[in-house]
Amino acid sequence: MVRLITHNLLSCHAKGCTTNNFPLQFKDAEIEHREADFNPEFIRGLLPKIEWKALVDTAKELGDTSLPYEQPEMMDDELLKTLHHVLLEMHVEEGQMICPNCNHVYPISNGIPNMLLAEHEIA
Amino acid sequence: MPPKVEATVVDQDAQKYEQLHVHEVYEQIAGHFSSTRYKPWPIIACFLASLPTGWVGLDSGTGNGKYLPLPADRPGCLMTIGMDRSQNLLNAARTAGGTDVIREVVRGDVLDNPWRRGIFDYCISIATIHHLATHERRKLAVQRTLQAVSPNHGRVLIYVWAIDQDELSKRQIPKDNETRAGQDVFVPWVLSTQKKSEADSVQTQSQVYNRYYHMFAEGELSALVHEAATELGMLVDRESSNGDPGTRGVEVVQDGWERSNYYVELRLWENGQI
Ligand SMILES: [Zn+2]
Repeated sequence: MVRLITHNLLSCHAKGCTTNNFPLQFKDAEIEHREADFNPEFIRGLLPKIEWKALVDTAKELGDTSLPYEQPEMMDDELLKTLHHVLLEMHVEEGQMICPNCNHVYPISNGIPNMLLAEHEIA
Repeated sequence: MPPKVEATVVDQDAQKYEQLHVHEVYEQIAGHFSSTRYKPWPIIACFLASLPTGWVGLDSGTGNGKYLPLPADRPGCLMTIGMDRSQNLLNAARTAGGTDVIREVVRGDVLDNPWRRGIFDYCISIATIHHLATHERRKLAVQRTLQAVSPNHGRVLIYVWAIDQDELSKRQIPKDNETRAGQDVFVPWVLSTQKKSEADSVQTQSQVYNRYYHMFAEGELSALVHEAATELGMLVDRESSNGDPGTRGVEVVQDGWERSNYYVELRLWENGQI
């Protein structure tokens, strides 16, 4: 399962691809929603690692527009809950992730993204 | 008696050798392997329990994902993402912990780096690096763990099999007492399958799969970490406040032997710019 928390950490690592290689773009994504326990402290601790713009853009690609475009300075409970849903409850089960720079395709099957490269593609 | 561990020699391209004697073996034995590996080692459980809520980590070579649900007393307070090459092990890792919680797992190679640089707070590499067939590849795997975590506060825990085995372990390890070097070995895995024959009698068929390991000698893991970090321009030392701004380093927090394994715990630091 690629949830957006994981997607926000991944970047393309194909040979020679070092700029504009994040975020990967979803294609043909099949999404399942699964409820997860809400832990506001966890979300707060997580935030410094999140690239906000990439998260908002990607959520929008997947049809979720619940996050504000600019990252708010203050995080109230309602916003933490929205983040919780976007980061942890949307599972991309099938589809692809495509590098915006080199167009490398990383397939997702049965909820598991395949980041392996062929021998000649390894940096 | 379990089949004997035997010395081996890596006599071909290391990557092909690992494909044959590590990756293909795990795909075959994944189901059986997974059902025997569920108890976390104490040092690792302790390490994960010590991390603050909200931290995100990488389990590089996660296998069946037994560390993904930890810490047990604070479920959901850490997010450990499991990475492995074996599809069959990842399928097991996805549901590790036996609850209906789905774990984050990614198919990838421990020598690759498909992540934003330094984005993780911690990285664990448990019983993985000993499956790499050359010193250079084992060093690169250590470097990948150092590059995966924050240069400022990242924590790393690495575990490998030791040539010095627990007395309770039934394994006899061939070793060269003269050189005190690490040892390349095949460790057999016996996979038994039961088949019903025509006369309703059950026949057990067993097949032996040899897995490649490099069993570490005393001091070898620390030396490997030292070399890996130095090559990346990091000091292997405690953080000192009077160092040059921008100096990066890695502190060895602990370094020891537990139940037939060597382990090392590291903490990364960097001096702030003035
Ligand atoms: Zn790319």
